[in-house]
Amino acid sequence: MEFGFTSEQEMLRKSFAEFLNKECPADLVREMIEDEIGFSPSLWKKMAELEWLGLTYDDRYGGMESSFLDLFILFEQIGKVLLPSPLFTSAVMSGLLINDAGDDNLKDSLLPRIIQGKKILTLALLDEQGRLDADEATIEAVQSQGNQFLVNGTRLLVPYAHVADEIIVCAGVKGHGTGGSTLLRIDGKSEGLQTTFLNTLTGEKTFAVRFDDVRVPAGNVIGDVGRGHLHLRGILPKATVLKCGEMLGGLERVVEMSVDYVKERHQFGRPLGSLQAVQHHCADMATYLESTRLIAYQAAYLLSEGLPCETEVAMAKAWASEAYRKTTWIGQQIQGGIGFTEEWDMHLFYKHAKASELAFGSSWFHRAHVFKNMGLS
Amino acid sequence: MKFVFTREQENFRQEVKDFVAAEMAAGSFTVDSAGLVARESREFSLKMAERGWIGLTWPRQYFGQGRSYVEKMIMNEELMKYQAPIGYHFLADRQIGPSLINFGTEWQQSFFLSRIVKAEKEAQFCLLFSEPDAGSDLGAVSTAAVEDGDVYVINGQKIWTSEAHMADYGWMLAKTDFDKSVRKHLACSEFIVDMKSPGITIRPIINSAGAHSFNEVFFDDVRIEKKYLVGKKNEGFRQIMAQMDYERAGMERLLQNYSIFDLLKKHVQKMSDEGENGEFYAWVKDQMAQLEIEYAIGRLLCYKNAWIIDQGKKPTTQAALTKAFCTQLEQRLNNVATQILGPISQIRTGTEWSPFPVDLAACYLWGPSYTMQGGSTEILKNIIAQRGLGLPRG
Ligand SMILES: Cc1cc2nc3c(=O)[nH]c(=O)nc-3n(C[C@H](O)[C@H](O)[C@H](O)COP(=O)(O)OP(=O)(O)OC[C@H]3O[C@@H](n4cnc5c(N)ncnc54)[C@H](O)[C@@H]3O)c2cc1C
Repeated sequence: MEFGFTSEQEMLRKSFAEFLNKECPADLVREMIEDEIGFSPSLWKKMAELEWLGLTYDDRYGGMESSFLDLFILFEQIGKVLLPSPLFTSAVMSGLLINDAGDDNLKDSLLPRIIQGKKILTLALLDEQGRLDADEATIEAVQSQGNQFLVNGTRLLVPYAHVADEIIVCAGVKGHGTGGSTLLRIDGKSEGLQTTFLNTLTGEKTFAVRFDDVRVPAGNVIGDVGRGHLHLRGILPKATVLKCGEMLGGLERVVEMSVDYVKERHQFGRPLGSLQAVQHHCADMATYLESTRLIAYQAAYLLSEGLPCETEVAMAKAWASEAYRKTTWIGQQIQGGIGFTEEWDMHLFYKHAKASELAFGSSWFHRAHVFKNMGLS
Repeated sequence: MKFVFTREQENFRQEVKDFVAAEMAAGSFTVDSAGLVARESREFSLKMAERGWIGLTWPRQYFGQGRSYVEKMIMNEELMKYQAPIGYHFLADRQIGPSLINFGTEWQQSFFLSRIVKAEKEAQFCLLFSEPDAGSDLGAVSTAAVEDGDVYVINGQKIWTSEAHMADYGWMLAKTDFDKSVRKHLACSEFIVDMKSPGITIRPIINSAGAHSFNEVFFDDVRIEKKYLVGKKNEGFRQIMAQMDYERAGMERLLQNYSIFDLLKKHVQKMSDEGENGEFYAWVKDQMAQLEIEYAIGRLLCYKNAWIIDQGKKPTTQAALTKAFCTQLEQRLNNVATQILGPISQIRTGTEWSPFPVDLAACYLWGPSYTMQGGSTEILKNIIAQRGLGLPRG
């Protein structure tokens, strides 16, 4: 058991933090909510140049061959500044899927461009009820003549669909031969593909995507026909834990911000932070932070080392979801009226906490998973 | 960052596990709950002493084994999961030893440490801190220790003294500077008191769980030799704060009721979709998973404390956070257990209808003490806020 960073990890953490603090102030986050693209292309380019998009990938594709734990450390810092960027959906989710399930041709042609930030991919996973329906995908891909699929259906909450060069769906393949859940790459400019901006509580760039007889070449299958859900399941633990990293970073920032505020703000002739009700709120926040840090880093470490950790991953997401949300509630409370303004940063995290809680399975979902692994049913 | 144990650590864990299993098989103890530190067996302690498991972390020149706190945490985890009766030496090992190593005189060290690690007769300690008017505000102790030639004369009263009726020695905080202009935190000192000294009266207090575990202790002109003063005169308060870290950092705050969780798991295992009301069963699953998650976190917090101490750093904030987290979890555990078992959970052990061989009702009754002894949750939160986050004192 060791709870400190190695000096390399510490250096890495510092360099992530320094860059992001400088390049991604809260003003940029706000600006990007109004912005049409929703992220800064110049910042995206810089991150690609720093090779952050290829952190865990093979050298062969231009990757850095860093550990998953390093990537987790990056995501912690990303969460701390709430960096708006397609990094997660493109370079992590889509990239990992291709890396794990794709054939060599696909990897050789696509991964370098994802890593260089030249191509943006996104994943369209949720059905119209917001469910991850990969096991029995309601989006339909009918194999037609001419070696292509006809894709029909709707996906919700697809990040950055408006700028995506390709959208990956997990579709239910029908028609002759083998069928079932299958991953398909769909050109973002395809005829019959329609994206509609969804105004959500975070204001991030997320979309409804409709597929109306969209023609997709048969060669666009990632991995095996009928095994899309399995390919997807393979990357979900990593995606979930990186989400936890992002949440941990956000949580950290909320604690910093709130504690700073109550040290400065005076009422009754004394700093708010000298009042015990406020101090105990802060102690609770610190406890949520420390507990989340330990349980999330544990999952990240075990994943990184390739050790079995299904339960630990579920524990991390179940706990982080609750802890982050509760901490933002406390943060809102002790920052008073100013905390409830657009101008103050607090709300950005309040929103992020809710959106993250709802992503990749709520805490109830993950607790059910923990229970299943307790061997009591 | 490493969330795995080394091979040596795993081997050590196995060694402790085997020992505990053999002792249980031999009937030297049965799994109980709620009275972990109170369950004592000198015989059991002697067996641990033989293995060098008392004073495990103390440096060798202090009769210890010089091993890490992480290893000690591993050992305690395995002992405490099954409620091994370690009460005879536990407190002395946890906090008397480290305090003497830090602040004791050579004589005190060689006399007491050697006896503690061997689980000798007359090596059991109790803590004489709290008084009727000095609980959370420990600096307010008024029990007086007045110099008189070669001795200190003690007068006053202590309260809530766990196991005073079993202990050979008491570790006491008493007032030694009576100048009103001196701040109270700079006016007290630590002493070791022979509990058989003339002038000491011990009266039992029955707690609300129906047990006699703590006491009132009265001092009436008790004379103690000056060699029993620990550390510097008038620095007792500062010294005690260091000791409290050890009192709060450990697994005992997480695992006192682990046997209840174990039994609860077995109980839940017998449930099924067919046999239970669906809504109830769904709720049970969710609660069990939540407890499992919180145990996992509590465990990591404890190991982090050990790691911090091994780094030569003070775990003050971390230990406060850990104790607050873990003791609240233990309270919730017993509450959830009663809710899962329903009305029969109230039946105490000793009848054929008791739900568990361990007294769940008693555990529930002990609940309020967890978040009070060793520093209340509120005091711990003050520490987290002020020491940890740097918020100003009120
Ligand atoms: C089972 C058990 C065993 C014990 N064993 C021992 C022992 O062996 N030796 C020993 O010396 N003592 C022992 N104690 C005493 C224990 O340390 C005290 O009970 C504890 O420190 C609280 O003191 P108090 O009881 O006087 O409560 P008080 O200090 O009067 O506190 C009452 C309530 O007020 C709150 N409060 C007090 N001050 C503050 C503050 N500044 N901010 C916010 N809230 C505050 C407390 O959190 C608590 O909720 C034991 C207690 C129990 C329950």
